[in-house]
Amino acid sequence: MQERPLKVAIVGFGFMGQTHAAAWARIPEAQIKAVFEVPARAPQIRHMVSEYGAKVVTNYEEILEDEEVNVVDVCLPTFLHREYVVKALKAGKHVLCEKPIALHLWEAREMIDAWKSSGKKFMIAHVVRFFPEYKQAKELVDSGALGEPRIARTYRYSAFPPWSVKGWFGVQRLSGGVLVDLAIHDMDFLRWIFNDEVARVYALSPERRVVKGITAQDHGIALLKFKKGGIAYVMASWAYPKTVPFSTYFELVGTGGILQFDNRSTAPLRLGTSEQYSTIQTYPEDPYYLEIRHFADHILKDVELMVTPEDAYKALEISLAAVKSSLTGEPVSLPLKEEVIP
Amino acid sequence: MRKFKAALLSFAHVHAPSYARVLKELPNVDFVAIWDDNEERGKAFQKRYSVERYYSDLERLFAENRDLDFVIVTSENARHYEHVKIALEHDVHVLCEKPLTTNLGHADELVSIARRRGLKLGTCFVMRFHSATIQAYNMLRGGDIGLPVSITTTNHGTCPYKAAHWFVEPELSYGARVNLREGDPRYRGGSITDHTVHCADLLRWFLGSEVEEVYAEVGANIRSDLEVEDNALVMLKFRNGVQASIDCSWSRPEGVYPTWGDVNLYIVGSNGVIEIEAFNQNVHLATWKMKRLVYSYWGPDVDKVMITQFMKAIEEDSEPKASGWDGRQATEIMLAAYRSIKEGRPVKLPLL
Repeated sequence: MQERPLKVAIVGFGFMGQTHAAAWARIPEAQIKAVFEVPARAPQIRHMVSEYGAKVVTNYEEILEDEEVNVVDVCLPTFLHREYVVKALKAGKHVLCEKPIALHLWEAREMIDAWKSSGKKFMIAHVVRFFPEYKQAKELVDSGALGEPRIARTYRYSAFPPWSVKGWFGVQRLSGGVLVDLAIHDMDFLRWIFNDEVARVYALSPERRVVKGITAQDHGIALLKFKKGGIAYVMASWAYPKTVPFSTYFELVGTGGILQFDNRSTAPLRLGTSEQYSTIQTYPEDPYYLEIRHFADHILKDVELMVTPEDAYKALEISLAAVKSSLTGEPVSLPLKEEVIP
Repeated sequence: MRKFKAALLSFAHVHAPSYARVLKELPNVDFVAIWDDNEERGKAFQKRYSVERYYSDLERLFAENRDLDFVIVTSENARHYEHVKIALEHDVHVLCEKPLTTNLGHADELVSIARRRGLKLGTCFVMRFHSATIQAYNMLRGGDIGLPVSITTTNHGTCPYKAAHWFVEPELSYGARVNLREGDPRYRGGSITDHTVHCADLLRWFLGSEVEEVYAEVGANIRSDLEVEDNALVMLKFRNGVQASIDCSWSRPEGVYPTWGDVNLYIVGSNGVIEIEAFNQNVHLATWKMKRLVYSYWGPDVDKVMITQFMKAIEEDSEPKASGWDGRQATEIMLAAYRSIKEGRPVKLPLL
């Protein structure tokens, strides 16, 4: 067998780490060499990891010092991103990191600075850009079919992730809450499709949580005002009952017309059993695979990044502005002058 | 139920033909007169609905029809005040198209005249009479989703200017030329005036609470040939703590989109959600002749329910389900949205 040029270490093997691993396993030029997890979780993931022919590592230094590993994929909780990404870049690894880039602008800036001085490849996994309906919407807008973008709406909602009720997700200062962790997908996508920067954000989030026992904001609605005069409405929620499948909606109106898509009504498959009824979206290709294929091509062929670290910084800034507005009750102008998450 | 004598004042508003149809269809209504300052239009509708009398002089209508029970006012927004007032002063009950007025002082005056004279003043908030919103109201008030927390609403539409151009003429749609804000050449009187009030009213009704604070953003126009705004987003904080939003945009391309728009409400509660897509009941129709897909509506005839209940309120001497006061409160929310856009910050209610 030919030598695989990308030796990958996956750092954090929760839901996202496992998803990324499945995608890396499909990249012929890549081999998963190691998976980093905390000692407490190491035993329970060992069999899954061994299926990829990889080993479980509980000491991060071991990955940094492994000269063979040249790609580090950080799928840790957001509050750990900066530390692990900066160390990997400084150790000379290419780095893929889950969104949001971080919880603080200073952290994101430090990560970007570390990347720039490393000469290595760095991408934040804003996977929505790889979902076919979002990608097609972007292409349609870029084709000029819709004229100048004017007003958009995005919805993204589900029940609170069941694996995370007792975890970091539900802690506002660890995940940033729904406006940071979930709405950031749409913040990034809106910037991309409007091809413009956000000037001002106003947001509302209920003071009392719908999800019992968490401190993180679990429902948020935000207005974005773009520099060229476009506006957008963003609704992101973890406050839906568990009977509701993960749902997304998007519409964009421009001077030339309107485009809309709705994963609630466009799913090609439905399943009803005595326990549940669900609509199932089947994608022509797994968006996570496309995302990781893109990053591999960026490393191997220097293909231009679809989503840059600066894009990830800007998306975070919009989300943080929304959190700040929801706490102060005032519209917040960008660029942000101070940190929002304590 | 007794027989009512009714007249319709002006076919300026695009909803007027449907109300006229209902007046003809209801067996206990004598649709006796039409007033319209546009004689050609008035006479055409007089003929279409076989109405006995047409007037171009409003005073004459009241002088010659002393036994009128009620009128429906469907003139241009800016003329509601004048027409409602004349009718009330002739001791006739009035059902007025929304927005009731574009001026709070005028709305207060109309409400107080009606009260003083013991007359019914209703606002055409037809959405309160839709079987889906009524059932949702009962589910919400019955605690089916716990307590409401956050509500996303939309009242999208096509821009009505090709059917009735006054909708985009600030003097007639808003009653004055008031710039949206400094440095913006557009005037008040567009989609915010036309489309904020339905959702604002539904929210007030559902929640049984008043708005405490309003924030709004207006977008650059979708249609470059308008003097007024055609898209905006409004955020509301209610006194009971519920947060809500309204998309009031004329964002559906007229003549192209398969339907006129929507009235949607997504209600997130402490123990569940209610989602309303009130105009989702359509037969999808496409013909070679039309060259496009059209949603042919088969849902409830909300206009008929509204007018029937208005007559019931007259007969039983009860407050109309959507009253003049409700019209006034929705107008205040609409005006607060304009003020927020002008000042670039949240605006506290009450305004007066």
